[in-house]
Amino acid sequence: MSGEQAGERLMELTKNITLGVYMPGETAIHRLDPRTKLISACLLIVLLLIIKSYQAYALFFIFIAAIILVSQIPIGYALRGLKPMLPVLVLMWFFQLFLYSSPDANILFSWWIFTATDAGAHMGNLISMRVLLLFVVTTTLTLTTTMVDLTDGMDSLLKPLGRIGLPSHELVMTMIIALRFVLILAEELDKIVKAQMARGVAFDQGNFIQKTKKLFPVFLPLFINAFKRAEELIVAMEARSYAGSRGRTKMKTLHMGRVDFYAACVILFFTAMTILFILQFPPMIR
Amino acid sequence: MPIEVKNLCYSYKKGTPFEKKVLHDISLTVNDGEFLGLIGPTQAGKTTLAQHFNALLLPQSGKVLIGNCDTCLKDANLIALRQKVGYIFQNPDYQLFAPTVGEDVAFGPKNQGLSGNEVEERVIEAMTQVGLDFDTFKNRDIFALSGGQKRRAAVAGVLACRPQILILDDITAGLDPRGRDEILEVVKGLHQQSMITIIFISNSMETVARLADRLVVMDQGRIVMDGSTRDIFTRSDHLQEIGLEIPDIMHIAKQLREKGFNLPPALLNIEEAAESITECLANRQVSD
Repeated sequence: MSGEQAGERLMELTKNITLGVYMPGETAIHRLDPRTKLISACLLIVLLLIIKSYQAYALFFIFIAAIILVSQIPIGYALRGLKPMLPVLVLMWFFQLFLYSSPDANILFSWWIFTATDAGAHMGNLISMRVLLLFVVTTTLTLTTTMVDLTDGMDSLLKPLGRIGLPSHELVMTMIIALRFVLILAEELDKIVKAQMARGVAFDQGNFIQKTKKLFPVFLPLFINAFKRAEELIVAMEARSYAGSRGRTKMKTLHMGRVDFYAACVILFFTAMTILFILQFPPMIR
Repeated sequence: MPIEVKNLCYSYKKGTPFEKKVLHDISLTVNDGEFLGLIGPTQAGKTTLAQHFNALLLPQSGKVLIGNCDTCLKDANLIALRQKVGYIFQNPDYQLFAPTVGEDVAFGPKNQGLSGNEVEERVIEAMTQVGLDFDTFKNRDIFALSGGQKRRAAVAGVLACRPQILILDDITAGLDPRGRDEILEVVKGLHQQSMITIIFISNSMETVARLADRLVVMDQGRIVMDGSTRDIFTRSDHLQEIGLEIPDIMHIAKQLREKGFNLPPALLNIEEAAESITECLANRQVSD
């Protein structure tokens, strides 16, 4: 990466964070009850983990692309969050290529002590597609649902668990705050990086070990500030009489509408199609 | 070492649906040795502009020349530029990280590749300049410092790099009056003794009225006024339109003028006002 590109990447760290960002809109997807979206997302993720054929993945791709189109989120933006992950994914793919094998695999080529098999390639593809689609499903969810709605939705869905003693509300609150803090800490990181750059640290130069050492003056202030923010958040919540889920009511209650019914039909149809595909087409890996 | 800005434009989150243009066609020259106040309402683009002055941000269109170095050039040595132009952030917590004050102040010079003795020299010099006694604070834990002391430590950390230009981004925000006065004394001292060019970003009109020679007023990503401090403050109506408040003393002077007192158009601080009012009263008695 040229010095210029690295510099540009350092200058606005938050530009590529899409998880936890809400993009306002009035599309059908935006208007769905958050519970519908949450259940659908979970269903999609389960399906993602059981399909194993290229054909089924193609179907999945088409479906998720359709959802993104309906929600009017620019596809380029939805995929932006993947940029930081790309190197890891490529590495993972090569790992599978060389290290995964099954009894009926065919050897593609050999290099030194490594043997590449077609089964390895397929496994690499499988894992990559799963990770990518997992990310896209989750991001689409957070891009089309506000934090408040997500919290309410999760709260409502997990309430039955609350009755058997699980601290569901507290779990939901923890998850939501963590999600929100991804963006907040990215912004803090941005400022800290700039502050240390202003004192002469060149983050984009040096070998791997040198670059890692340079992260210390960045991560220490980041952690300290994160703890400080956490303390401030606690005080702010308590000052507004927050006391967990005890006696907590809502001003805006959730209700399902006609859109949700249609969405449920669409998802069920898609699930049926997927099961059909699973039965019809052989998996790429045994 | 002057800074020249020509037709600078910058947008945040460019290329995403959240793109926002923050600087529209900015052109400006910062002269050697001056004390420049960069003022304007919030979100006017002051920090964005200032971060171009030490190449923390690079122009998306237009040019920024620091000394004679164009920051856009591929082989521009941005690290060297950042040693010559120091930037002090509002929140010292973004910068302080070392276990002791001495080590933190030494961070900048160490990055410059100086020898151990030179680093120590710079640290002593910088800490003295900000009023933190070297022997007392050298080994003090950064978490044991007060807000004002932390701020001074952060300033020392940047001064240790011996910059020719110093950018202070709203450093008095959140300080009590005493802390504010302490840090401003340091800044004033620096300008007078070391002749460093100072770019002072602030929302506090009282402060800039006291310290700045020249004011650049920004609003919504454009420069709307640029002139000597006195000239700018005569246009108090325009300032108020933009959303900036003029110092209290000027409000009083304005009301006095409306009542018939012949005061000069721009009084920058209480001392000047007191002098002028006394003179006016003396003249009135004479004419009566």
